[in-house]
Amino acid sequence: MKRNIKLTLVMTLALSMILSACGSKEADNKGNNAESGGTAATKTIKIFQFKVEIAEALNRLKAEYESTHPGIKLDIQTVGGGADYGAALKAKFASGEEPDIFNNGGYRDLGTWFDKLEDLSDQPWVADTVDVAKEPMTKDGKIYGQPMNLEGYGFVYNKDLFAKAGITETPTTLAQLEEAAKKLQAIGVTPFANGYQELWVLGNHTINVAFAHQKDPDAFIKGLNEGTEKIPGNATFDEWTKLVDLTLKYGNKNPLTTDYNTEMTLFANGEAAMTQQGNWTQVQIDGINPDLNIGILPMPINDNAEDNDKLYVGVPNNWVVNKNSKVKPEAKEFLNWLVTSDIGKKYIAKDFKFIPAFKSIEATSEDLGDLGAEVVKYSQEGKALSWNFNKFPDGGMNEFGNQIQAYVAGKSDKNALFDGLQKAWDSLKTK
Amino acid sequence: MRKGENGMNHKKTSRLTQQVVFVGPAILFFILIIAIPFVLGLYYSFTDWDGISGKATGVGFDNYKQIFMHDSSFRDSFWFTAKFTILGVVITNVAGFFLAYLLTKPLKTRNFLRTVFFMPNVIGGLLLGFIWQFIFVKGFSALGSATGISFFNLPWLGTENTAFWALVIVFVWQTAGYLMVIYISSLNNVPKDILEAAEIDGASRFQVLRSIIIPLIMPAATVCLFLAISWSFKMFDLNLSLTKGGPFGSTESVAMNIYNEAFSKNRYGLGTAKAIIFFVIVAVITSLQVKFTKSKEVEA
Repeated sequence: MKRNIKLTLVMTLALSMILSACGSKEADNKGNNAESGGTAATKTIKIFQFKVEIAEALNRLKAEYESTHPGIKLDIQTVGGGADYGAALKAKFASGEEPDIFNNGGYRDLGTWFDKLEDLSDQPWVADTVDVAKEPMTKDGKIYGQPMNLEGYGFVYNKDLFAKAGITETPTTLAQLEEAAKKLQAIGVTPFANGYQELWVLGNHTINVAFAHQKDPDAFIKGLNEGTEKIPGNATFDEWTKLVDLTLKYGNKNPLTTDYNTEMTLFANGEAAMTQQGNWTQVQIDGINPDLNIGILPMPINDNAEDNDKLYVGVPNNWVVNKNSKVKPEAKEFLNWLVTSDIGKKYIAKDFKFIPAFKSIEATSEDLGDLGAEVVKYSQEGKALSWNFNKFPDGGMNEFGNQIQAYVAGKSDKNALFDGLQKAWDSLKTK
Repeated sequence: MRKGENGMNHKKTSRLTQQVVFVGPAILFFILIIAIPFVLGLYYSFTDWDGISGKATGVGFDNYKQIFMHDSSFRDSFWFTAKFTILGVVITNVAGFFLAYLLTKPLKTRNFLRTVFFMPNVIGGLLLGFIWQFIFVKGFSALGSATGISFFNLPWLGTENTAFWALVIVFVWQTAGYLMVIYISSLNNVPKDILEAAEIDGASRFQVLRSIIIPLIMPAATVCLFLAISWSFKMFDLNLSLTKGGPFGSTESVAMNIYNEAFSKNRYGLGTAKAIIFFVIVAVITSLQVKFTKSKEVEA
C-alpha cells in the first residue's frame, strides 16, 4: 500500500506538468455570461488585447463607454509587450475563458485563428478603411478584422543629441549612419540602445528589414515556403547583417540583457541617441521625458540613399470578434463605436496616439506626437516598406530571434546565422 | 491484509465502504483532473492538432518519429534540463540538509532563521524570477560598478553559462528552505539516547553525522530527493520569468520547449507527444530513485 502511494505521488507530480499544458478543448462557455454578477440585464464584453501602451487610455475609454451604454460592461485585459500574447490567448481559449474581442495579426495569424473569427465584411466601418490596412485580414474577399492602426518603425532618434554631435544631415545610407554613430560616440553618447533581449525586437522588426528589402517580399516568402528561395546566399540578407553589426559595434553594453523598458529608459534619458523602435513608443517616452525632441530615421542596409530612405509601415494588429461569442452584436457595436463615434475617434487619435487606419478619422501631428507624424509623412510620400513578420510561419519570431541572439552573442558567424534561419524556416513551415 | 482474508464477510464489506468513503473522493479527482487529461494528451500526441481549429487528423507515430529523428532543440533542452537537474538536486539537498543541521543546534535566532530560509518558497516562482531578473540585471551591475568585483560584472543573463548558473542559484535559493524543513523534522526524530551513547563511546562529531544521523534520516532524503528531482525536471515558471529560455534558446527547459511547441509554434500534437515522452522519463527516473533510496533506509 505504501509503495502504491509513492507510485501515485510520482504519477501525480509528473502528470501535473502535462495537465498544465492540456486544457480541455470542449470547455464550457456557460461561465462566460453567468459571472456578470449584478443585474441580470448587464452584458459583459470580454476584451483581451495586446497593446500595453494603450492599456491606461483604454480604461478611461471603458468608463466613458459604460456610462453611455447602460447594461454593457467591458472587461479589458492586456497581455503584451514582452509577454507572449499568442500563447496567452491560446491558454484563454483552452481554458474556456474565451474573450469576445481579441487581437489578430493578420496573414498567417488569420489562417491560424480562422475557425474562431466572425466575418465583419458587412460592418459600416469597412468602407472607410484605408486599402493597405485591409489586406492582412482579408480572406476570399471577406474581411475578418478591424485594423487597430498603422504603425511605422525605424531608428527612433534624439534630435538634440544629433545636433549636439554636429550631425546636420539625417543619415539615409549605411555609411552616413556609421558616420553619425562615430560623432555621437565622440560626445560621449551611446549611439544605439539595443533591446536585444526581446525576441520580438529581433525576430520581428530587425529581421523584417531583410525581408522588406527583397525585390518582392511576398514572392520571396512564397519561395522560402516552396523551397525555391534560400536565405544563405541571399544578397539582401548579406547586406542586412552589416546593419546589425553596426548597431552592435556602436551599441550599449550587454544588449542581450537589455529588455524593452531598459532600452526605452536608456533612450529617453538621453544616454543613447538611437533605438530601433517605432511610433508606439511615443506614449512611453512622453511618460519618462515629455520634452524630448525626437524623430524616426530609416534603417539603411547599404549606401543607396533612395532605396534606404524608407520606414517600415504596417498594421500591427486587428480587433476581431469571436464567432462563438454570446455577445456578438454588442461586440460588433463596440468596435463600430470605437471608429465612428466622436469619443472613439478622439481616443484613437489623441489618447492612443494611433495613426488611424480609417479615412474617416483625422489625426493631426500634434495628436500623434513627433514619431507618428514622421511615419505619416513617410507613408504619404510613398516611402514605406512592408511588414512581413505576420507572414512568417508560426513560432518564427522566437526561432529567428534566437538565431539572431546567438549571432549577437558571437556564438555564430554570418553563415551560421543564415543556415540557422533557413533551418528554422524549413522546420516551422507547414507542409 | 492477510488477516482480513480470514475474517468474517461483513468485515470485508465494511472495509470496502471505508475505502470508498475515504479514498473515493481522491480517486474521483485524480481521474477527473489527471487521468482524463492524460488520456486526452495521449490521444492528441497521435494527431496534428494545432490547438485552435476544430479538426485533428491522426498521424500515427509521426510526431514521435519527428521528435526522435529531427528535433535537435528537444535534445538540447533535454540535455540542459538534465544538467540543471543534477546540479539542482545535489545543491538543494546539500544546502537544505546543512541548513537543517545548523538550525537544529541550540541557536538563539533559530526560529527566525528558519522562517527566513523558508520564505523564498512562499513567493511564487514567477514573481521570484522577475525579482531575480532585476537583481541580476540591475542590482548586480550596480554592485559591480560600485565595487569592481568581477563576479557582479558578468553579463548574468546574457551568456549561456551564466544564465544557466543564474537559474541554478535562484532554484536553490527557492527550494533549499523547503527541503530544510523536511530535514529538520527528521533530525528532530533522531533518538537522543543513540546520540548520547555515541558521544560516550567517543565518536567524533563527523562520525556521529556520517554513521548515525545520515542513515537515520534516509526516509527524509528519499522524500527530498524525490521532490528536488521532480521540481527541477519540470521547472517552468522560473525559467519563463527569469530567462525566457534565452539567451538564444540556450536555457530552454523541456517543460518550456513543450510549451513553446504547443503554444507558440501551434503544434499541439507534437507538443503533447513531447510531454508524453517527458512523463515516461520523469516517471522512470523518480521511481528508480525512490526504489534506490528506500533500500538505504534503516530503523534505529
